[in-house]
Amino acid sequence: MKSKENLLEINNLYINYGSIKAVKGISLYLKKNEIVTLVGPNGAGKSSLLKGIMNIEKSKGDIFFKKNKINNLATEKIVSKGISIIPEGHLIFSSMTVWENLQLGLYQGAQDKDITLKEIYDYFPILEKRKEQKAGTLSGGEQQMLSIGRALLSGPELLLVDEPSLGLAPQIVQNIFSILEKLNKDGFTILLAEQNVKKSLEVADRAYVLKTGEIVKKGNANEMLKESNFMDLYLN
Amino acid sequence: MEIVLAQIVNGFSLGSIYVLLVTGFNLMLLVARIIQFAYPQFVVLSMYASWAILESTNNIFLAALAALISSIILNLLSEPIFRRINNRENVDINASFVASMGLSMIIVEIMSHSINNGFPVSFPDYWGGKNLFSFGYINLGRGEFYALFGGIILVTIFFYLLYHTHYGRVFRAIAESRKTAKQVGLAVLKSSILSYLVAGILGGIIAILFSMLLGSASPWLGESVALKVLAVSITAGLGNLKGGLYVGLSLGILESLAVGFIAGSWANVIAFVLMLIVVLTKPEGLFGAAIE
Repeated sequence: MKSKENLLEINNLYINYGSIKAVKGISLYLKKNEIVTLVGPNGAGKSSLLKGIMNIEKSKGDIFFKKNKINNLATEKIVSKGISIIPEGHLIFSSMTVWENLQLGLYQGAQDKDITLKEIYDYFPILEKRKEQKAGTLSGGEQQMLSIGRALLSGPELLLVDEPSLGLAPQIVQNIFSILEKLNKDGFTILLAEQNVKKSLEVADRAYVLKTGEIVKKGNANEMLKESNFMDLYLN
Repeated sequence: MEIVLAQIVNGFSLGSIYVLLVTGFNLMLLVARIIQFAYPQFVVLSMYASWAILESTNNIFLAALAALISSIILNLLSEPIFRRINNRENVDINASFVASMGLSMIIVEIMSHSINNGFPVSFPDYWGGKNLFSFGYINLGRGEFYALFGGIILVTIFFYLLYHTHYGRVFRAIAESRKTAKQVGLAVLKSSILSYLVAGILGGIIAILFSMLLGSASPWLGESVALKVLAVSITAGLGNLKGGLYVGLSLGILESLAVGFIAGSWANVIAFVLMLIVVLTKPEGLFGAAIE
């Protein structure tokens, strides 16, 4: 069930890197249990927006999570409020074991969480098999699973997923997207930034199209998928 | 043969102090991302603190506590200074190195002007000087005994915490990649401040053990030790904790053997000769550097 209430609401957000304006007055919202995707070419500001939400990058404007302003909270505080990010490039700690990487997530975030290590192993059986292995020895797809698993273990309601398909083989990309859909069915709200437009519109409820830091189109993901000239219009 | 054995026992005691110092130094390097050249100075200043308490109260527990507390305070006080330096944009780790050298010089001046008129201080016999046992040439003083076993216990506890607790894992994660740690929302700043506390506790215990081993302290002790700690860390590979363990211990033994068989004054040069050879032949250190 999609609820009426906004889980996340962003009003007029700006992010600058020195003189470069990466995000220029973006406003958007997410309702509970939605998958919303941010699509757009490289440099459109998708990643910056996600980093802005986590306060990894400084931003101006308002960000509300469950009606509380979270703009100036430290990143770890934002995690404990219930937002986790799965960063671009399947970032893991390669010198630590798979189990240790997952433990990092488990001790992060909210104290009372509904998710257990066992459930993570249910989503990703391969991680249990490799739990004693150094994370650096995993394949790209497995590292992405580990990255998702760690984020889930911090007990989020909202998952920010940054370019999950980057650098992965098509079959593995398919696999990762199925997992995102499954997570959404299990109650996670997802904000997905992705260059693979077709794939992300297929799984998403709604979409925002970004170009050079601004929203140039928004609406139902399915309808956008059906627009024949969509790619030509917005993504070149 | 007995002499060799005696020197090796001495060497292990001295080596364990080097290991502890380089461990604290590497911890700061890895987690707080600073080259803390003044760390050994903080240790020496804490040795002075325990000396002052011993002079006025003769109470060894209060003296030990004084070393611990002063080391914790000194390390925590330095945190905002280094954070300010590190928070500036485009700053590299050498800025903290220069700042900590400045800090180190200030501390030397303070000690040489205002404590005991700048004369070296000596610790009373009951602090660590007594002989524990003698066997032929082998004399094991109480200070040596405490330095050796205190060192072993402390290093064991440190590595246990590093590998088997949450904060240990967070420390290692930050050490591996500060960027990734930030991206996934680990508490980088909090952990960094915690590392100053841990280095402070470690430094306080080092101060106690070191003063028991040496029986004295002087304003210039810290600088010569700081240079050696830097040499050990570079020889092992900057930030390599396990490497620091092996190289620190080896240096202690080599120096002790040098004192026994060559002229004692040459001992101080070993660390730097080793470092030079390693820098020229294997720049990343014997065990590989652990920072990017």
